[in-house]
Amino acid sequence: MITSKMPSLRIDQNDLKCKNGCDYFGNPQWQGYCSKCHREQMQRQRKAEKASSFTSTLPRSDQRKSERGLKLSSHASFSKFEEKRLRQSETLKKTNLLKFNVFKKNITDDHEISTERRQPEFKIPTAVFEGMKADFRVRFPSFPPQIDRDARGFVHTFILDVIKWAAIMNVDELSERVQKQYQRFMKHMETSQHYASVDSDARELLIDFVEKHAMTYLHELPSIVFSPSGTDDERQDRAMSERIQQLSWVGEKHLECKLDRNNAECRRLLYKAISELLGMDAARWSGAKLARVRRCARHVLRLAAPAPASADDLLPALILAVLKANPPRLISNINYVTRFCNAQRLMTGEGGYYFTNLCCAVSFIQNMTAESLSMDKKEFDCYMAMPASIGGSAWAAALSLCGATREAEEQSALAAKLLEQTKEIQREAENMANNAATFEEQIAKKVQDVLAKTPLEIKPRRELPRLRREGVGSAPPPTTEPGPARTSEPPALLNEPSVVIDETEKLNILGFEVVEERSPSKSPQLDRLSDLKQSSSTELLTPSPMVLTPFDCRSLDEVLTPDEFPDNIPGLSDVNYDIDLSDFSADTSLAEDPPAPDRRRTFDPFAPQTSKDSYKLLESFDEFSIVDNARESDPYEVVHRPDPFGSVLDNDEGRASILDDSGSPTAACLLPSPIQPQNSAKPT
Amino acid sequence: MTSGPYNYSYIFKYIIIGDMGVGKSCLLHQFTDKKFMADCPHTIGVEFGTRIIEVAGQKIKLQIWDTAGQERFRAVTRSYYRGAAGALMVYDITRRSTYNHLSSWLTDTRNLTNPSTVIFLIGNKSDLDAQRDVTYEEAKQFADENGLMFVEASAKTGQNVEEAFLETAKKIYQSIQDGRLDLNAAESGVQHKPASPGRPLAAPPSSRDNCAC
Ligand SMILES: Nc1nc2c(ncn2[C@@H]2O[C@H](COP(=O)(O)OP(=O)(O)O)[C@@H](O)[C@H]2O)c(=O)[nH]1
Ligand SMILES: [Mg+2]
Repeated sequence: MITSKMPSLRIDQNDLKCKNGCDYFGNPQWQGYCSKCHREQMQRQRKAEKASSFTSTLPRSDQRKSERGLKLSSHASFSKFEEKRLRQSETLKKTNLLKFNVFKKNITDDHEISTERRQPEFKIPTAVFEGMKADFRVRFPSFPPQIDRDARGFVHTFILDVIKWAAIMNVDELSERVQKQYQRFMKHMETSQHYASVDSDARELLIDFVEKHAMTYLHELPSIVFSPSGTDDERQDRAMSERIQQLSWVGEKHLECKLDRNNAECRRLLYKAISELLGMDAARWSGAKLARVRRCARHVLRLAAPAPASADDLLPALILAVLKANPPRLISNINYVTRFCNAQRLMTGEGGYYFTNLCCAVSFIQNMTAESLSMDKKEFDCYMAMPASIGGSAWAAALSLCGATREAEEQSALAAKLLEQTKEIQREAENMANNAATFEEQIAKKVQDVLAKTPLEIKPRRELPRLRREGVGSAPPPTTEPGPARTSEPPALLNEPSVVIDETEKLNILGFEVVEERSPSKSPQLDRLSDLKQSSSTELLTPSPMVLTPFDCRSLDEVLTPDEFPDNIPGLSDVNYDIDLSDFSADTSLAEDPPAPDRRRTFDPFAPQTSKDSYKLLESFDEFSIVDNARESDPYEVVHRPDPFGSVLDNDEGRASILDDSGSPTAACLLPSPIQPQNSAKPT
Repeated sequence: MTSGPYNYSYIFKYIIIGDMGVGKSCLLHQFTDKKFMADCPHTIGVEFGTRIIEVAGQKIKLQIWDTAGQERFRAVTRSYYRGAAGALMVYDITRRSTYNHLSSWLTDTRNLTNPSTVIFLIGNKSDLDAQRDVTYEEAKQFADENGLMFVEASAKTGQNVEEAFLETAKKIYQSIQDGRLDLNAAESGVQHKPASPGRPLAAPPSSRDNCAC
């Protein structure tokens, strides 16, 4: 939203370069930034949106928002970055104002108001007030809506007033004006009867609330309150940053603070303090900046532990933290808080106290001499003449070590968490395996129960000549027979035919069956089929779920011609179709053969199944069938697996199906076949 | 509604200044915690130098800013002064040098605070009368010449400590009543918190300084 407006504002910048001005090339996809800057920008935006659902429609001075985040990379890269940024800052400073004006003009164009005056055309984005509304509800849920409206109205006039006067007044006057605004709101709360029931603590919170929302917005505007035009804040920022680089050799002994670089806890605390200092620049209103400073100071105070820290310890340690952090835009930030923070807060309170200490630290750094470090003048000069990159490596190393340690800690914590999760998953998996095992047992038991009931009825009706010859009648009860060790259901069913068979003959028959499956020779099979067809035992089984699953096509192929296909037998014709495609791919293109509405070929699982069919299933049970069991959703799927009986079909049935493939219902049913489009696409 | 310990109508900011080792931190500690810790440094963490007192039936929160005592920071600690309603200037009666430096401390204070700021001179370590280096009369004369209030006190025994802080508060409160002190000026170092007539609408804030982050 913000960035989409940017292109029109880019007046004289080289479009190819990253908008941030770093040496990389920008990309329109990344709003004109290089990938790195864009990522940073996006993160910043996301963070900002999270913090308060504000979005400013005014151009942010993205270039100036060179927040470095909390990452404490090596000192050298910091300074490089800083230098780069500062080099631009001068030119940016000039263009910022220009941009702001250009933007204002843009708005006039948008609204088709042709007027020279600025005030009426300037609009505060409604998002500001939306954010305020939401924030108000969270913070002051019990306050009457009148106060909410009041506060928003006040923020509105506040912002407009500041923007209006910023162009005319110098910073000190503007600062005074802002302070007057705070007082005005305070007075308003005292006099208005809406606030009669609001106690003084809540009033302070309210004025904080107003300050927060007004200043958060104003902070985003270039050169209004933060590094305002007409000040040399940015120049001072640069000077300060360079000075801190020069002083990178200053260590704990120069400042006489009780810090032990070799103590990990001490390093960690200093690292945290530095992180807070660096984070100050990202905070947008004084309250948030002060909170950062306060947290920083608390870490610093804990540095003196176990002895409780006093004011005498705070300042030197804070100076060291500032020196090691080299916070971005330090002077601008301090000036911003000093000028525009509600002065009452700055004068009193812990935040004010620590902020004052920070100011002292900064001014100490600015005025640091050999004397103030109680060292020899010559030595001091010598250090100062030294290139900045040489000094301070010990602390920089210690601190980057700290950063690395922290990262490592985070990583190990993450690893520990993952380990925990893995254990949990393992536990669950074991549970599941147990469940599966018990389930399997249950099913096996059920099946055996069924088997125990059925064989008596089956036996007399079996009229397999071959088996009868060998004395089927003397088969023992099947319950004791161990089935092939497969999954629960299919093996049990598979058992059934063999149950019928005499125990002594079983192995033979089973062996025969296996052979039969692997080599689809035709004649014995047909024989057996017709034999088995008469078996009523399989008929008994038809209602079992096993029968509902895809069947083996072979049985039907061998018995029926395509003309005789029963409509309710799924998948059968698919086999033929697959084979056809390889030969006549052009004929079966979708365009020529649109899918007929599938009215007849719905698969009815409860439709009567031919006994032969069912038996076939049992007979030819193999791992494919198991696969099919799993995909009950698509019974047609079965035909696409490699068909061991392809040759058979080719020989006798294949041709027949080709002939009627366009007219027969088979064609419609075949549509889900993934093979079809392939074949029609590339003629083989 | 004003009975709670955290209810007060004013906040006064004090600064406490003087050479290193005169006992500033000890005085502060004695006043806020009524304790003397011989050689133990003093915390400025938690409730950081605050105590609520009562002057003329008004509850006043005193907020005392201790300053780093090292000589080297002398030049940069000026920002502490800004907006102080009261300044406690401390010297050590057993060390003349600390007394001699008073004029420079006074100059700083006068330059960096507003005219209404109350300056109170404390001659500390009165318990060490045997090692006295500065007589009471001499210091009293100095105070009178410069329009300062003055007591000799001991952070160790607690003698006169309370009085010093309270007298300062009284004087400040008087200036407010007289109208000499503009409550609206941020530099006054006084924050007025008008007592609320009705019951509070908002729950007391969990932390006074809640922020956006
Ligand atoms: N006998 C005695 N010693 C004191 C008194 N006040 C402070 N001290 C000692 O003087 C030393 C310096 O005190 P401190 O408060 O740290 O001085 P600061 O530098 O002004 O903050 C400490 O060793 C204290 O024990 C006092 O009233 N009597
Ligand atoms: Mg001290």
